[in-house]
Amino acid sequence: MKARNADLWSGLALAFLAACIIVQASRWDYAGPDGPGAGFFPLWYGIAMLVLSAVLVASSLLRAQPEAVDWRGAGRAAAISAALAVAVVLFKLAGFAIGFAALAFFIVWAMYRRPWPLAAAVAVGLAGGFYVLFPLLLGVNLP
Amino acid sequence: MKVRIVSATAAALLALGGLHPPVQGQGFKPARTVEAVVHTGPGGGSDVLARAVALMMEKEKLLPVRMQVVNKPGGNGAVAAAYLAEKKGDHNTIGFFTGVWLNNPLTSAEAKVTLRDLTPVARLVLEPAVIAVKADAPYKSLPDFIAAAKKSPGQLKQSGGSVTSRDNIVRQLLQKSTGAQWAYISFPGGGERIAALLGGHVNMMVIEPAEAGEHIRAGNMRVLAQVADKRLPGFPNVPTLKEAGFDIPAVPQVRGVVAPPAIPKENVAYWEEVFHKLTKTASWQKFLADNQFEDGYQNAAELTKFYDEFTGRMRGILQEAGVKLVR
Amino acid sequence: MDVLSGLMHGFAVALQPANLLWCFVGVVLGTVVGVMPGLGPPATIAMLLPLTFLMNPAGAMIMLAGIYYGAKYGGSTTSILLNVPGESASVVTCLDGYAMARKGRAGAALGIAAIASFVAGTVGVVGLMLVAPPLAKVALAFSAPEYFSLMALGLAMVVLLAGRSMLKALLAMLVGLWIAGIGTDPFSTTSRFTFGRLELLSGIDFVVVAIGVFALGEVLACMESRAEGHALPVPKGLRNLLPTLQDLKDCRFAFVQGSVLGFLIGVLPGAGSTIASFISYGVEKAASRRPEEFGKGAVEGVAAPEGANNSETGGALVPLLTLGIPGSGTTAVLLAALVLWGFKPGPLFISENPNLFWGLVASMYIGNVMLLVLNLPLVPLFAQVLRTPGYVLYPVIIGISIVGVYSVSGSLFDVSLVVAFGVLGYLMRKLDYPAAPLILGLVLGGGMERALRQSLMMSQGDLAILATRPISAAMLGLAALILLVPLFNKLNAWRLQALE
Repeated sequence: MKARNADLWSGLALAFLAACIIVQASRWDYAGPDGPGAGFFPLWYGIAMLVLSAVLVASSLLRAQPEAVDWRGAGRAAAISAALAVAVVLFKLAGFAIGFAALAFFIVWAMYRRPWPLAAAVAVGLAGGFYVLFPLLLGVNLP
Repeated sequence: MKVRIVSATAAALLALGGLHPPVQGQGFKPARTVEAVVHTGPGGGSDVLARAVALMMEKEKLLPVRMQVVNKPGGNGAVAAAYLAEKKGDHNTIGFFTGVWLNNPLTSAEAKVTLRDLTPVARLVLEPAVIAVKADAPYKSLPDFIAAAKKSPGQLKQSGGSVTSRDNIVRQLLQKSTGAQWAYISFPGGGERIAALLGGHVNMMVIEPAEAGEHIRAGNMRVLAQVADKRLPGFPNVPTLKEAGFDIPAVPQVRGVVAPPAIPKENVAYWEEVFHKLTKTASWQKFLADNQFEDGYQNAAELTKFYDEFTGRMRGILQEAGVKLVR
Repeated sequence: MDVLSGLMHGFAVALQPANLLWCFVGVVLGTVVGVMPGLGPPATIAMLLPLTFLMNPAGAMIMLAGIYYGAKYGGSTTSILLNVPGESASVVTCLDGYAMARKGRAGAALGIAAIASFVAGTVGVVGLMLVAPPLAKVALAFSAPEYFSLMALGLAMVVLLAGRSMLKALLAMLVGLWIAGIGTDPFSTTSRFTFGRLELLSGIDFVVVAIGVFALGEVLACMESRAEGHALPVPKGLRNLLPTLQDLKDCRFAFVQGSVLGFLIGVLPGAGSTIASFISYGVEKAASRRPEEFGKGAVEGVAAPEGANNSETGGALVPLLTLGIPGSGTTAVLLAALVLWGFKPGPLFISENPNLFWGLVASMYIGNVMLLVLNLPLVPLFAQVLRTPGYVLYPVIIGISIVGVYSVSGSLFDVSLVVAFGVLGYLMRKLDYPAAPLILGLVLGGGMERALRQSLMMSQGDLAILATRPISAAMLGLAALILLVPLFNKLNAWRLQALE
């Protein structure tokens, strides 16, 4: 994906966000009895956002040479993000230690292609370390 | 590798097991550390009260276990209330509520948990307030201020909390009963409100006597009237609202204790008893005197009645003030 | 009691063995807390309150204050090494500090941060000691219009943080403003952008966004490549392990400016160390002879904000001790502590409690020295952290981030938010949107909107109030000047081109 397209899409996304903000802001009071209301500020920055994102979209359409955005690594990043999301669910169901160990295992084994005993060792070691350091020593709660 | 995992798990389980002391004897008594939920962060009003109560409980040996303060800030009390609601039937959790817990559900759609949804336990204190101006202001009494406000409607300013706070309620009631009008500027932090008054940016504020005490002593502030039913010991020469000629109710700021829903009656009675005993101790009396609170102890039944009355009145006042109600 | 005799008295109190011990405990604890993202001085101080009843008030106050400014020292460590802001004020340090680490100069960055913190911390104490009462009176002249202009000045700094695309920087800033607005509107109690979710009622915590965008975003970006080996180059040689004389020379202005600005901004109740560090960074960049270096590893870019956020602690104690008005989250807890111990902070506090005040001031000098001695030699040691292989380091960063965020609010929702912001941070990196303006908008947005509405309430809807009050007008003028800087630079560039 070239930079021109990237700018185009992100500009459009921001324009969409700006439109939503403006619509929401118009539903609130612009000015209450005692002063500006809840809709005052959001309306103005929503408008600013809309204008600027429109400029961004326009400039990306007019640009001469696009620079390349390197998306090669994105697949891996997406995988990690998915793993993080799964980990959060695991936190809720099984607690921090297990969720984190699973996440660490995934990272070491799948991402860095290390042998799985090493991955498991790292996972358990780190999870254990967190458990010792935080709730036991410092009194900070883990999820 | 497997050995490591098993031994780690075993170690973890042993550690967890060791944290549960044996269950106590008959009748209801809290079996482990009591969680006291507050809706402010560390240092906030409820947090300070809860910590003070926890200290007094230990000193006077009123509880067989420790009390620990748990901060659940957010949403003006809505997060803490929701947290308590989730802990249905939990014997070891209580919460400290303030007036904000009563008002918030009226105006905020997301604040679904009202005091009635939880189990009211006891009302502890009433916080009075005083009406203060800067020491070099030309107003020597509340009628002076009202007269000045009538002469220039909307020009004088008052600093205070949000539009549903007691500060604004007092203003609405005064405005309605006298016909005067003045502006209200919200400052989320108490320190900022005082700074606004002392800096001459606003003309008047409603402030708790404990907060005002030092400034009055230093000669920076003057008190015009007290928002209380009878004169506070710290302010023997200042008229109450009624004495100054304004027939409006002295709106209190309340603080009390609440418990999660579905608690057996026996537990409620236990907590009522504990807090009742607390209010009789010397350290509590000293606490009240130091903070210039009024003892407003009410047990669970009385608290429920108070709640209904209070919210009914609040609905009327807020509607007149132009605030949108959702419940 | 005049200053010199007060100080003598104070040292007599602070040098007692028990108080020295508490000072040490405080600063060490503070450093540890500062390193941990999320866990901050307010929560730590609150947790230690019951313990303080067993100590004498002077010792307790010395320890708690030690935690306060100690945390500012610690916050820079993870910012520089891992791009994880340990404390909200350390976000700015991430910008150049992490860039320096990437270039292999992590040790120098850590060292400069420590030195700047020491200089600024000391300046802050001197300020507290000498000018506290008169300055407090000046601070009272600040009200909503002045705060708005101050924040507008802060936002104007965005043009200095822009990098290549001004457009994207502005858009990022606006998104930051939007995120700041999520929650309950304090004036009208309307809920804004909360999508009906309870957890969003009080808005999204700054820590969640900062850790997500900076730390997790960076981790995601680093994990793109399967390249193993070390995350960052390990500094080799003394030049990179400690700051050089040249570095110190470069930072002369930063030391001074960071200390003074941080202190002054700290004095204002409601303006905190984050604003101080942003403004100090902006001023440094504006005054620098090589502004293009900023963001890529300019030493001054570390010295200025680190200095500012340290002297801010001295400044924030001014309104607390002279008026009983807390200026930030930590000073609010300190105020509660003083009240719980039976003191009455207010205008008469210093004159009625000279032992406590002067003892505290003296202990702050001692504490700063302790922190310098503790931190500098540890710098090469900390730099070795970078030796950890990526596959261990990244999970650790993720873990610390999650625990840190959870420790703030105890809510899993926040944890899922931080993951979402991590993805956002990654996307922003890829699409070349700078992260600093987003943070700037987030930090200033709430305060700015409040101040604007309060000002308009004060003036019955008349915007002119912002220009008619002298202090406010001055700051707005300065902001306008800053906004003209890029224009000025462009004109300069054209002029140079035309001359060729």
